[in-house]
Amino acid sequence: MRKLTLLLLSVLLVCLASLAAAELKEAPMLAELVAAGTLPPVEERMPVEADILVVEPEDEIGQYGGALQLAWKGSNDRWWAGKMTEEPLFRFKPDGSGVEPNVAKGYDVNEDATVFTIYLREGMRWSDGMPFTARDVLFYWDHLLTKETFGKSIYECYYSIDPDTGEKALASFELVDDYTFRVTHKYPSAQFLERVAIDNKWLFAPAHFHEKVLAEFIGEEEALDVAAEWGFNDIASLGKYTGYYYWTFQQIPTLRAWVASNDHEAQKFVMMRNPYYFKTDTAGNQLPYLDQLDFNKIQDDSHIELGVLSGDVDMAVFGVDKFTILKENEQKGGYRVLNYGSTDWTSFSIQLNQTVKDDNLRALFRDIRFREALSIAVDREEFVNLVYDGLVDPIQISIPEGLVNYQEGWAQRWAQYDPQKAADLLDEIGLPWDAAKEYRNNPDGSELTLTIHYGSNTLNDMGTELLKKYFNEVGLNVNLKVLDGALWNEMKYNNELEIAVETIACFNVTLRPETVVPVRVLTPWQGHYGEWVATGGASGVEPEGDVVKILDAWKLVSSARTQEELDRLGDEIIKVFAENNWVIGYAGPAPKLAVFDARLINVPEHVIYADEFRDLGHARPFQFSFK
Amino acid sequence: MNQNKKKPQGGLLRRLLGQMGFLPQRMVVDETEAYYAASQWQLMGRKFRKHKLARIAMVVLGLLYLQALLGQFIAPQGLTTYSSAFVNCGPTPIRIVDDSGRLRAPFVYGIATERDPVTMRKHYTEDRSRIYPIQFFTRGEPYRFLGLFESDLHLFGVGEGGRIFLYGTDGGGRDLFSRIVLGSQVSLSLPLVGLSVSFVLGLVIGSISGYFGGIVDSIIQRLIEVLMSFPTLPLWMALSAAIPPRVPMLQMYLLITMILSLLSWTGLARTVRGKFMSLREEDYVMAARLAGVSDRKIIMTHLIPGFMSYLIVSMTMSVPAMIIGETSMSFLGLGLRSPVTSWGVLLKEAQEIQNVALYSWKLIPLVYVIVTVISFNFFGDGLRDAADPYT
Amino acid sequence: MLRFISRRLLVMIPMVLLISVIVFFVIQLPPGDFMSSYIAKMEASNEVFDQNTIARMRAQYGLDQPWYVQYAKWIAGILTRGDFGYSFSYNRPVWDVLSQRMGTTLAISLTTMAFTYLFSIPAGIYSAVKQYSFGDYLLSVIGFLGMGTPNFLFAIILMVISYNWFGDPMLGLVSQQFVNQPMSWAKLLDILKHMIIPVIVIGTANTCGLIRTMRSQLLDEISRPYVLTARAKGLSEKRILYKYCVRAALNPIASTIGWSLTSIFTGSTISAIVMNLPTQGPLLHQALLNQDMYLAGSWLLLMTVMILLGTILSDILLAWLDPRIRYVKAR
Repeated sequence: MRKLTLLLLSVLLVCLASLAAAELKEAPMLAELVAAGTLPPVEERMPVEADILVVEPEDEIGQYGGALQLAWKGSNDRWWAGKMTEEPLFRFKPDGSGVEPNVAKGYDVNEDATVFTIYLREGMRWSDGMPFTARDVLFYWDHLLTKETFGKSIYECYYSIDPDTGEKALASFELVDDYTFRVTHKYPSAQFLERVAIDNKWLFAPAHFHEKVLAEFIGEEEALDVAAEWGFNDIASLGKYTGYYYWTFQQIPTLRAWVASNDHEAQKFVMMRNPYYFKTDTAGNQLPYLDQLDFNKIQDDSHIELGVLSGDVDMAVFGVDKFTILKENEQKGGYRVLNYGSTDWTSFSIQLNQTVKDDNLRALFRDIRFREALSIAVDREEFVNLVYDGLVDPIQISIPEGLVNYQEGWAQRWAQYDPQKAADLLDEIGLPWDAAKEYRNNPDGSELTLTIHYGSNTLNDMGTELLKKYFNEVGLNVNLKVLDGALWNEMKYNNELEIAVETIACFNVTLRPETVVPVRVLTPWQGHYGEWVATGGASGVEPEGDVVKILDAWKLVSSARTQEELDRLGDEIIKVFAENNWVIGYAGPAPKLAVFDARLINVPEHVIYADEFRDLGHARPFQFSFK
Repeated sequence: MNQNKKKPQGGLLRRLLGQMGFLPQRMVVDETEAYYAASQWQLMGRKFRKHKLARIAMVVLGLLYLQALLGQFIAPQGLTTYSSAFVNCGPTPIRIVDDSGRLRAPFVYGIATERDPVTMRKHYTEDRSRIYPIQFFTRGEPYRFLGLFESDLHLFGVGEGGRIFLYGTDGGGRDLFSRIVLGSQVSLSLPLVGLSVSFVLGLVIGSISGYFGGIVDSIIQRLIEVLMSFPTLPLWMALSAAIPPRVPMLQMYLLITMILSLLSWTGLARTVRGKFMSLREEDYVMAARLAGVSDRKIIMTHLIPGFMSYLIVSMTMSVPAMIIGETSMSFLGLGLRSPVTSWGVLLKEAQEIQNVALYSWKLIPLVYVIVTVISFNFFGDGLRDAADPYT
Repeated sequence: MLRFISRRLLVMIPMVLLISVIVFFVIQLPPGDFMSSYIAKMEASNEVFDQNTIARMRAQYGLDQPWYVQYAKWIAGILTRGDFGYSFSYNRPVWDVLSQRMGTTLAISLTTMAFTYLFSIPAGIYSAVKQYSFGDYLLSVIGFLGMGTPNFLFAIILMVISYNWFGDPMLGLVSQQFVNQPMSWAKLLDILKHMIIPVIVIGTANTCGLIRTMRSQLLDEISRPYVLTARAKGLSEKRILYKYCVRAALNPIASTIGWSLTSIFTGSTISAIVMNLPTQGPLLHQALLNQDMYLAGSWLLLMTVMILLGTILSDILLAWLDPRIRYVKAR
């Protein structure tokens, strides 16, 4: 099945390519360089004709030129620049259903889904003009990833799991020829390519560059000198920033449409077009259309808003709370506001830490009646009107219709405001009133106080304020505690969060499980279950109850062979999650507001804005163009 | 008291003028007699009254503090009266002429809502079919007055079904007027606490340092330098993280304010010291010292009155600085949080671009802050002029 | 005088060391460390971390050691090599990070400082001489408006007004198209345009205080007996005012002017954040929030030196303005 699609796709690509690529055209700024003799002609810079990736522009063939003005807070916003320019080996299709080749030309896979043969594009080059071959992939595997040169452990996607024993086996890589390499798993790994597309988008590195900086090749001392030259203190930092966060450094060649051209700490960080980029439009114009991306340094989020309003920022993404102000000034600011989808399951939810340290609280949080009480004690209608100005639905956390594993009826579960029933449930659990009849106590008579932890922003401030009011009304005493990012993380890893305000986003639990399946410490409701799973029981809290069911189903996911099987397992996990409602949502998911300069064309009207799809990268900025 | 007789310069000028025939003789005599008979405080009061703006400022401040005191009674709503139907609703116009052109007692119309289908902005218009006269001393939301007794009497309101938002509403549909009034309870009282701590410390330590000089001065100056270098931001972060969540917001804020004012007396101390250094060389101080007057007495009766005016200016100037400081803390996300309301909390909410651009009535709290600050300053000015020993 | 200055400078050394310990201790007081805030930021972009990685990164930056060990290493680096350490969030030496913004910071602060003093001292003199005149009230009201409005809000309001009227909120120090461009007349003009709001916001915040202090001090002086004497001797009013009264009235301003050294180098933090000015203030603020220890520590250390130098400077100024204070050993 896979092979056939691949074949058809390649045929289609070849046809399109041969139709269009009679003659390659390039940007005027590059043509000048070619004329001056400082750059080879475009034919020599691109892959061989059949291997060029031909892209059909969203609306029309664009025009060369222009600089896209963007805002960022400096190098800590590296992902903003990174995701929109990212060129993965395989990327998700526009509708999010599976992956398609990008840097890779195609692939073959055997029946068992254990051997993947991946083909690259002949004649493709790095942005410095050096050839890009399968050796660069093998180099990445041998010298960067498996040696943990950039400080990350080997990604989960490279392990296959024995369905019987649960034993993990690392894949092996081999070079077939200059443009082909093979990945072999010990056990089947049906979702290997999708998981690579999520876990490890780029599975290649410019060997010729790294051989000049890595200690392995030039020796410790020399490497330290190089590190010092780059401003780094040690070899590990050099490894991390050259091997992982590489795209903001002008010295490092990439395959992206735009490459860094100056210091990323500058007041304006500029990414210039890559003369060796491997994609053309259907008329044979080498992409990208835009000459450069300008990242202007800002200090506060409000500057993005002001920049958009005044037309200084050409592209940005906002939350739904900015809808009115953006819409009101659409004409004046000369931009368009598009509603992009998201993979959020809710826009406001609380997570009850199932492994919270306090015994009384833990018993309560694990009591499904308590969670129901917290859910129905809140008037969602009023809640969304006050917090979201009525722009989202008053529903329970749930998978939006249209996404994988959608569950009918979940959105309405425990969504009806019923304070009387909530109070009854709390009575049933046995939470007695205190002497003053003001608040409830623990069953053992000690004082009961719920602490809601949250990060401060306008929506969370208002939301928690209201929750406190509603919970007080059913007799629950509530403390609100604001945490900044550092403290939040500190408490999360120490299992100190109690009720945490955090949403859940997940587009497919079988591909990106961690918000639902406790595989490591990340999502507050799981508390230290994740720690237990990640350390194999060495530390953390042993999962029990329905969480075990989720983990059991998850174990089967990695060895599943068919899509049907995967969907069924996904459904199973989600059903358990939905029944338990460890996370209680009070407001339905909201669209992301993507704002584009009105002169920008080839901008898709709707895409799903999600990390798995690389946020705005999914809108394919390399084919954006100014009218 | 004998001080008055020692330095009646203002009177001197007056007598000179009188002797030169510029003032009617009888008046000079009367006035001077009254002048010499008056106590220091009466003198100050008399001079204070001459400063017109200071008098106005005093009245304004009086009204503000009275309003804070009677907050729950004046505010038509409480701090947690959310209303999802009136989110970001503009100020309700108060009318005295109805549609038919008839003059009547002040009233408001009902409020109709409409949502712009494109921008989703809610527009509120007057529903002219419904008329609600404004009533005084109405029954409304119950509250505890000054924590003493229960009541539900409010200064004003409109009848059942009507709404009156003098200053409009905020993003939670709460009456902004009520929030300003109730917020003033915090904003007008908290700064005084912090101020008095740092003022007393600054005055005492500064005086000691400036009067004694030498080794004492050196030690105190070094101490001041250490305190001046204290980075307050991480200190504040650490404190607010360390204080357990069960401590109520207001208490926590008060605590932190007091801790920080333990650090913030340094500026005043330094100025006091500078003043002392020049004053202690004055002949009258030397004379007092030679006459065997104790150090404490010299400081209290001879030196401090010598620059009382400066202290008063600096003190009245510090109150507004504290009020502003509170709003800045809110801006950094370290101040008070709703539903506990202060003017800083309101300004923090107002400072979002969309509020400034679309819902400009949310800036009304700013007017209160400015008026308060100006009043404190003019008030201080009047006091300064009054306390000045030379005029 | 020279002996006095050199003695004071000598005392400075142990003071700086003492303060640096305290400062370093306070910076690391808030819970968490640089790694936790860094991970929080990257996790917000969905980057994945496992606990081994986190532990390794902590060890690599030396964050797993107690604060006094970190301090000792840092201070030793400064004393022996003049190396102020490494900024974790910028991934380069602290000194590089600091020097990058020094120019703009000085330019902005000096402009606003100049505005503040050049405007407020004459205004204070005018207010005192023409007490209770219309001009006196007008100056007071302008000053109070600037002082009564929190800076950040004032800046936002001015920016929104500027946006409504001219379609440009005047963010930053220069328009986008001029960034990374060499200096030109057009760019200079653009910078001057962008300086208007900062000068108004930061300037007026301090003018009020200065006008009031100046006014009240001068009023005190004018009514002193020596003025009467001088007048009786036939000195011109101008001479009395400027030669004697103003000089004496500057005393309290002088005793704190030394401390504005720090604000010259830091710039006004909150306003700079709001107006997107590339000065040191926001940098320090970020460093403190992120617990970028060595960056924040080095900066605060420099500020300490400034404060101490400023104090000495103030004392010298005081002595110059008031010849009676000569710092001879008191009794």
